[in-house]
Amino acid sequence: MSTRPATSGPVRTGPSGTVLIRADDVGVRHQGHAGFTPAAVSLTLSAGEVVLLLGPSGCGKSTFALTLNGLVPQSVPAELRGAVVVGPDHLDATTTPVGRLAEHVAMVFQDPDASVVTGSVLDEVCFGPENLLLAPDEILRRAEDALRRVGLWERRDDDPGILSGGGRQRLAVACALAQASPVLVLDEPTANLDPAGIEEFYATLTEVVADGDRAVLLVEHNLDACADLVTRVVALDRRGRVVLDGPARDILAGHADELAELGVWLPTATLAGRRLRDAGVLPPSSPLPLTPGELNALLTGEDADPEPWSETSSAPAAGIAGTPEPDAAPPVVQVDDLVVRRGGHGLTRRRREATGTVVLDRVSLRVRAGELHAVVGVNGAGKSTLLRAIAGVEPPPPGAVRVAGLDPARADLRDLASRVGYVFQNPEHQFVRHTVAEELAHALELRGLDRAGTDARVDDMLGRFGLRTHRAAHPFLLSGGQKRRLSVGTALIGGARILVLDEPTFGQDRERAAELLTLLDDLVAAGTAVVVATHDLQLVAEHATHVLVLAGGRVAAHGPAAQVIASGTLDDAGLRRPPLAEALHGTRWSGVTRLADLPGPDPAGHTEPDATALADPGTAGPPTAGVATLPEPDAARHPNPGARA
Amino acid sequence: MTATSPYARVERPRLLQRANPLAVAAAVAPGIVVAFTAPGPATPCALLVLATLAVAAGVRVPTRHRVLVFAGPVLFTLFASLTLGLWTPADDVAGTPLLLAAGPFEYRLGTWLAGLAISLRLGAVLALALVPGVASTGPDVVRAAVQNLRVPYRIGYTALASFRFVPRFSRELAQIRAAHRVRGTARGRGPLAAIRRGTGYLVPLLAGALRHAERVALAMDARAFGAHPARTERILLPFRGGDIVLVAVTWALIAAALWLPLSVPDVRPA
Repeated sequence: MSTRPATSGPVRTGPSGTVLIRADDVGVRHQGHAGFTPAAVSLTLSAGEVVLLLGPSGCGKSTFALTLNGLVPQSVPAELRGAVVVGPDHLDATTTPVGRLAEHVAMVFQDPDASVVTGSVLDEVCFGPENLLLAPDEILRRAEDALRRVGLWERRDDDPGILSGGGRQRLAVACALAQASPVLVLDEPTANLDPAGIEEFYATLTEVVADGDRAVLLVEHNLDACADLVTRVVALDRRGRVVLDGPARDILAGHADELAELGVWLPTATLAGRRLRDAGVLPPSSPLPLTPGELNALLTGEDADPEPWSETSSAPAAGIAGTPEPDAAPPVVQVDDLVVRRGGHGLTRRRREATGTVVLDRVSLRVRAGELHAVVGVNGAGKSTLLRAIAGVEPPPPGAVRVAGLDPARADLRDLASRVGYVFQNPEHQFVRHTVAEELAHALELRGLDRAGTDARVDDMLGRFGLRTHRAAHPFLLSGGQKRRLSVGTALIGGARILVLDEPTFGQDRERAAELLTLLDDLVAAGTAVVVATHDLQLVAEHATHVLVLAGGRVAAHGPAAQVIASGTLDDAGLRRPPLAEALHGTRWSGVTRLADLPGPDPAGHTEPDATALADPGTAGPPTAGVATLPEPDAARHPNPGARA
Repeated sequence: MTATSPYARVERPRLLQRANPLAVAAAVAPGIVVAFTAPGPATPCALLVLATLAVAAGVRVPTRHRVLVFAGPVLFTLFASLTLGLWTPADDVAGTPLLLAAGPFEYRLGTWLAGLAISLRLGAVLALALVPGVASTGPDVVRAAVQNLRVPYRIGYTALASFRFVPRFSRELAQIRAAHRVRGTARGRGPLAAIRRGTGYLVPLLAGALRHAERVALAMDARAFGAHPARTERILLPFRGGDIVLVAVTWALIAAALWLPLSVPDVRPA
């Protein structure tokens, strides 16, 4: 490791420091692909380490993780060069059966649903040890120990399906522990979880690694959640070569610029600290913080007289967020006392509604053109139901909702679709045609638009969303980011000025999520009204003009984003304050929720850097209707807020 | 947890729930053949009653399943007897009492009895098939098959894991239908439009299913599934002496039911 440029100190290791896995120049070429991604990763994992593997989207982080227990190339067809050597017996991971390697390496995957194979929590934990042919007594002993460590022993008889997302990922950790493998590989374990689930998961993981007898390799985009836990960081470049390797703090704080350059997301606190240091607020010698708590300590240390939290949470906050209420404009979405019940029984609609449980309880909402309303709340708070009622996906009771002059309860779906576009969580669900161009033309053809007009609008849309070279491709064969853009394009092509998106960032990495939110920013700037449900509160803080907090089907708070975030309702609703707001709590900048609103080296520069950052001069056409043209390659540079400072 | 969970845990199991699942299945299997082939309606009727009594005595049926298990076969038999009888040629039942007449249409006692003769067989088969269905859980059937029938464990436990797909796919299908409705593909009525819609759902559903199956397979591999020629059976389900007795007694009862038609008079006039 001494050959790496970034290794500025000794790698922290556990009590024994035994090397448990060694990867030498590992490159992987998937079947049917031309290049090796990752290209060359060399890495050792020693007992007691928690190694965070960073890199831009598509650099092969997850693929590399799968080589450690032989899934690549044994279960996933691929060509592997280099070597992966596992355990004290120096097993070759390319030839030793995956089942044998499972004794040395355990894995937790992104989708909690995909790892459950049995009918009870206890059976689930026993599944691995049973496969290893251990004695029943030993299996039960391990299962109890593992379940107690993740806090699920009391729920051993439950069906894993009824656990929350966070609970199921804790169960996955227990399963890995029961395998007693000294290496634990976690591949984006929190990507499908809500904020409470993420916190729950990392609290459990922190306890598990405290013993220091294991090595953990973590692939994770949400650095705000895991920065505390990580001892060492390894960063890959876009092609999948190691460029930085060293103690977590040295790399994340000391090489923040290089990481931002790579397109890697940094902890929000680090980004904010960097900005403040460049602006001269923090001294140049000041260490960069990794967690909201550290930034807060730095700032309250600076400020002799921190302002109390309560005073800063009102008026100035709204001003900072820059969202004046355009009272003159009529709302394009108007929801009045919407009540939705579900699961009722009876023969008449009235009877069913009276007996069902209340999903939405007297929800009211006004959205005007040029506003982006984020709907937040824990799972089951009613977010999707509200969005579906607005777009008429599930018709609401008559009279409660008006969208661009129509009542979704009565309007023809075709009329409604031309005024309000709805984007589903999984873009694949809404694709109905066989090429990208047909997919875009679909709504226009249904409305009987002539051929020439349809082609012109499809061309325009393909250009705006960076899909021109994929015109004839099957929508299912696009990359994740392209599918998402196509789904937004199909929702808007009919001329809709209102866009409703249900958790469009779920299961996606921060880079994809930010790309989408930047696209929405541009739409909003061009006068589209956007309503979006999401779990990512820092994204909400950065992009939303308004926030609606739902708790148990009721509106807990609704107003300008900065005010709502500062008010503490998020905590009451079972959510977490976004990392920046938490870091700035009690400092001179209480109430600031967006990085761009902190003093920076270029105070005026934050108004439109997103569009310029995205526009790649090589591929960009002329921007249309205020919407930035996205570059064609999906792996293009993304607007990391860090790049602005 | 849905009412149809294949995993439901049993509190204080009764006789049939303690028995080896294979024994329960083997015990009722000949009954199903007999119900189809027995000469008169009395045998199926007896089998229906026997099966229902066996469940009542030998299985602790969850409250929400009781109507289905106990009333289901009987209600099915009665309903089917009314409709199946309509297929009987009118000449065959001409002499029996008239129950209902509407213009040229006549519904006679013989019509109903002819229907009942068929529906009793179907009802008996239903009742018999319900016995192993409610007495054994999915995991136990797999365990017993792997342990006693030498079914390869890779097949058995993979089948068990695939039960998990059902609720996931039904959720996904609901999402896809809503999405396609919004896209305006749900237009038109009748079977042709329904088929067109259905094929439209197929592509996204299959794409999602394949991806999910692949993930599950990777997760199972990573947990050493298939690492050894055998895996530990934590819960043993041997075929005990009691199981043999259970099978023998049940077969004897079924054989006894075969003799019943000799002592029951035929209602049809000669």
